[in-house]
Amino acid sequence: MTFLAPWYLFASLAVAAAIVALHFIVVRQPRAGILPTARFIPESQAKSVAASSRPTDIAVLLLRVLTILAAGAALAKPVLTPPRRPTARVVLADVSRSARDTAALSDSVRAFYRDGDALVVFDSAARLVDANPGDTLGALRPTTRRGNLGAALIVALRAGSGLRDRADSLELVIVSPFAREELDAATDSIRSLWPGRARLVPIGTATVDTGTMLGALEINATASDPLAVTMPMARHAVRGNVIILRRGTGASVTSASAGANGSARGAAIAVDWPASARPRFAVQRARSDTVGGVMVADRGVIAPFVRQWSYPPDSLRGGEVIGRWYDGEPAAIEKPEGSSCVRSVAIPVTPIGDLVVRSDWVRLVAELARPCAAVTSLVRADPSDIAKLAGSGRLASRDAFQPATNTRSPLAPWLFALAIAAAVAELFVRRGGKAERAESESIPASPFPRPASRVKTA
Amino acid sequence: MTVGPSDAQDEYAPLLDAVRGIRWPSRGVVRGGMPGAHTSRLRGISAEFTEYRPYRQGDDLRRVDWKLFARSDRAYIRLSNDRAILPTMIVLDASASMAFPEATKGKWKLAAQIGVALAAVARNSGDPVGFVVAGEEPLMIAPRMRLTVLHEIMRAVSVTRPNGGMALAPSVSIAAQNAARLVVISDLLGDEEDLLSVAGRWVAAGHEVLAVHVIAREEIDPPRESVTVTDPEVASIRRALTSETRAAYIEAFGSWRERIAHDFSDAGVGYVTAVVGDETAEHLVRRITAPRGVGVAVPQ
Repeated sequence: MTFLAPWYLFASLAVAAAIVALHFIVVRQPRAGILPTARFIPESQAKSVAASSRPTDIAVLLLRVLTILAAGAALAKPVLTPPRRPTARVVLADVSRSARDTAALSDSVRAFYRDGDALVVFDSAARLVDANPGDTLGALRPTTRRGNLGAALIVALRAGSGLRDRADSLELVIVSPFAREELDAATDSIRSLWPGRARLVPIGTATVDTGTMLGALEINATASDPLAVTMPMARHAVRGNVIILRRGTGASVTSASAGANGSARGAAIAVDWPASARPRFAVQRARSDTVGGVMVADRGVIAPFVRQWSYPPDSLRGGEVIGRWYDGEPAAIEKPEGSSCVRSVAIPVTPIGDLVVRSDWVRLVAELARPCAAVTSLVRADPSDIAKLAGSGRLASRDAFQPATNTRSPLAPWLFALAIAAAVAELFVRRGGKAERAESESIPASPFPRPASRVKTA
Repeated sequence: MTVGPSDAQDEYAPLLDAVRGIRWPSRGVVRGGMPGAHTSRLRGISAEFTEYRPYRQGDDLRRVDWKLFARSDRAYIRLSNDRAILPTMIVLDASASMAFPEATKGKWKLAAQIGVALAAVARNSGDPVGFVVAGEEPLMIAPRMRLTVLHEIMRAVSVTRPNGGMALAPSVSIAAQNAARLVVISDLLGDEEDLLSVAGRWVAAGHEVLAVHVIAREEIDPPRESVTVTDPEVASIRRALTSETRAAYIEAFGSWRERIAHDFSDAGVGYVTAVVGDETAEHLVRRITAPRGVGVAVPQ
């Protein structure tokens, strides 16, 4: 048995020792006696403090010590430590939209997971599976959310702290397709916090990066549309798909036109970007305002934009925000639609000024014309990034992890209950002792009845 | 436990032997009454001649000294001092405070011995003697001269256990109605103001009143160890007798005794202090009964 917070136990031992010491110091009233001339004694409090050779009120003392020690032990969180084994694993199971091969995912996780290991399931968020990991293993299904390996690694570190008392070494196992979108700028830094190598188990088949294939960008707009000015400049940046920008309310991209233009080069992506009408999924803002910038992926444009539309939370269900205003509000969203996707953009394009010809604006428009997430989520990360993720060297030692402080102690509630019961018992025992002492010290009233006619005054 | 007459007599026999020859004269002339040992205010026809007085109309002709009339041809009345008895009542305080110290009951024993001894002395002086035990159940023995009255007194004292907190002044008032001499044996803890008032009234009425103040040595010089003491008659009076309060207690108790002695003396009441262990009952009785010996005894 170990204590997660042993200082509480040490403190309770000190308090218990002080209580025992106090029970050797008696504060009592002097011996009781009779004196007919007691009325001539001035009133005063008489208590003497003296050291006793044996503790007073042994029952009360025992109950008090029991109360303190039980409470201290409960706060110290005693846990029963299982026998330590050579190696324990922290298995990260990727259930994001990138991991579409469910069978491979389940088989890989089952192959590495053993009883006593830690299982972390992650997509955009990660969670440590505490209860019934077997059921979880049987029900692993990919979600529609983007994977985040950084979040999974943080939870893995926490799980490592929980496993440090069960094994000498900890092995990190990551079962994932290792899509490019699952890594971000912080992934390397977070990975470096795990002090040892990791075993990477790739699942699924890698998809060719369509970004290397030239696509087409078309616009359904009038000639005076300012965005039409941007098109020629942004077109060379479009890769892999046919992108159709819909600027008018009446004009729509027909499947025929999309198919005619895009059948050879990929699925057509319709970007609903009305010049003045309400974009798809958006609603009218209660009050128009001006915001100073917008970002799509890592492309930003600083300019005054008059916002008229907003995306309510319901509109984001099943979709993904691909552009945000500088204050965090969604400016553009994407939703899957069949094998393709549809995008809605609520960024107003003003003909005034040079916005439409600015390079940052051109890059932002090109970013809005990127392939659908369903395609990009399958693009595997660069081998160098995957190698960094694997790391090198030995397995992580248990000493490299901080002891977990949030571990539940199954004994703590019982110890608290014991402390409370002892405290209540002490209360009753103490009251009983007081009553006995008062009875022994008092003068029996019955032998000396006193008529009202004889009243002594001191 | 029942105490029989013989037990009581055995208990007090040595004391009664010791006070056998003591006489208890009155502090002054007594009122007229049955012939007795004390000088009466009246002048009568006893055999103890005192003086002659010229005959006045209305005098009893039988008191004319006819031989002197024959010699001097003048009529003189033969006068003599009259002697009368002095009915004595002894009031013994049997309140709980008299049962102190708890172990020895010293105050009660000394008070009882003084009471019995004074009763014996009074009866041996030819005076009727009565007794009042002022306890929870007051017991009164009317003044009588016969020998058995002493037995009754001894038995009454023997069966009494000091208890309760009965007021003493009412008992004194009742006892004084049947006596010309009144002795109150008490520790005076309680209704001393009422007692002083009653005693003063009877002194003014011509009675001879004597207060024997019984004090235990432990009351004058209490133990030095700290102790929480309780008044046996008033349980609510509970004080801590410590080294800090002891000096104040001794001073307060001493002042009270001085005041009591002074007040009783001012009221014409004889006052004697009887400290347990300092004097024997015989010695105290001799001091009390000495001619003109009763006075203010300055408390120690």
